[in-house]
Amino acid sequence: MKASEAWSPDELLTRATAGEAAAFAALVRRYQRTVYSIALRMLSDRHRAEDLAQEVFLQLYRSLDVIDSDAHLALWLRKVAVNRAIDRIRQEARHDNEPLTEADTVVDEVGDADPLLQRRMAELVAQLPPAARAVVVLRYQEDLDPVDIASTLDMPINTVKSHLKRSLTALRARVLGAAIVDDDIQPSVSEPSR
Amino acid sequence: MTAFFEHSIAVLGGMLCLCASASALAADGQLKLPNFEGLADKASESVSITLDPALLGLATRFLDPAKPEDAAAKEAIRGIKGIYVRSYKFDEDFAYPKSDVELVRKQLGAPGWQQLVQVRSRKEQQKVDIYILVEQERANGLAIIASQPREFTIVNIVGSVDMRKLHELEGQFGIPKLELEEKKP
Amino acid sequence: MSKDFEQQLRDALRPVDPEEGFEQRVMARISSEPARTRAKVIRWAVPLAIAASMAFVAILGTYQWQERREQQGREARRQLLEALRLTGEKLDVAYQAVNRESPPPDDGNGA
Repeated sequence: MKASEAWSPDELLTRATAGEAAAFAALVRRYQRTVYSIALRMLSDRHRAEDLAQEVFLQLYRSLDVIDSDAHLALWLRKVAVNRAIDRIRQEARHDNEPLTEADTVVDEVGDADPLLQRRMAELVAQLPPAARAVVVLRYQEDLDPVDIASTLDMPINTVKSHLKRSLTALRARVLGAAIVDDDIQPSVSEPSR
Repeated sequence: MTAFFEHSIAVLGGMLCLCASASALAADGQLKLPNFEGLADKASESVSITLDPALLGLATRFLDPAKPEDAAAKEAIRGIKGIYVRSYKFDEDFAYPKSDVELVRKQLGAPGWQQLVQVRSRKEQQKVDIYILVEQERANGLAIIASQPREFTIVNIVGSVDMRKLHELEGQFGIPKLELEEKKP
Repeated sequence: MSKDFEQQLRDALRPVDPEEGFEQRVMARISSEPARTRAKVIRWAVPLAIAASMAFVAILGTYQWQERREQQGREARRQLLEALRLTGEKLDVAYQAVNRESPPPDDGNGA
């Protein structure tokens, strides 16, 4: 068992900040799935997703001093990953996304869920406009609530809710093959605490 | 050109002919909005935005021209001097004082304000009224009052208003135009 | 129904691992970065320390003002975008209603 596996998340952060390579490598192992998945769902391409994920960790290495806790680190990584992905998409001005290839359409089969349906849904999410796509990924992949999504994307919370509602309506209509209707689907979001 | 703008321009054109000889009328297009502070505690969601010329200028400086939505926003607010929004949602019907909303509607009876569109939806009990302030044949103010049993929104924009650019913002940010295209074979 | 659909969406978007060796590739890139070192503490003579502290306070004051101004600016931008979003939303209601009343002209290809 590696020594780093015995360290708590905050201890990993402290040691990595102090320059311990093993600690930083452990942080990479801990968060690579999150960062890579966000990049993959945003960019729809494994190679570009890995490239972006590597850049996020490189930026983390340079910015460790501003991270003050493991919880902060998780939020920071998501924020940097999704915003870098949005910037990348806009720079490349790829409004028409290339269809996912067989190799890129990654579906982690869950129970008896229909893999073709899952593949189709993943493809449709990849076709949403960048900001809406980011909101859907942060909500349904990362399980963030609207307040955290708003903070991550520097977006007003009501805009987050609009994106969620309209994205779900559009996705549902396309998956079910129906015309887009305004049938008042309410995404299950928790209200921001007051 | 969309039906909406054809309609609104036709209405506006007719009204401009009638008031072409009128002198500058209502003050500066800024409405007196009631104090809704007490509603924030009752509301499930509340938005209260007051962007006077100074704050609007500050906000503009922080718009990032590299972001499409920021660039579109900057274009849309060209000539605008102030934006005032009050929007409240509630968990119960008519938890807000309808009289206060009506007081705002009454101000729009002042000289210069012209009603552009009136929407009444019986099914959703929704009312939307859009007014513009016409001064010397230019739109120098915009007011939108939208109400439903469980929410109301008042928008007041002061200054030179380009409605087409405001409406086109839907495709840039906020409410996205979701055009999911078929995969090309 | 809505919750089932949302669960399907969650299932479709389950996180996935990168290709084998990702950690090693990241560390290889990191190895070309300047090494991180522990901060060194250097003792200064007291007068110099006092002067440095005063300068620091002055700079900090300016920095804090700039930070506040930046926060105000960011908040003003956020409010502006929210205001424009709400405006567009209500204009859209009117647009939809007018279009229902006056549908777009037939292009001759319809029924």
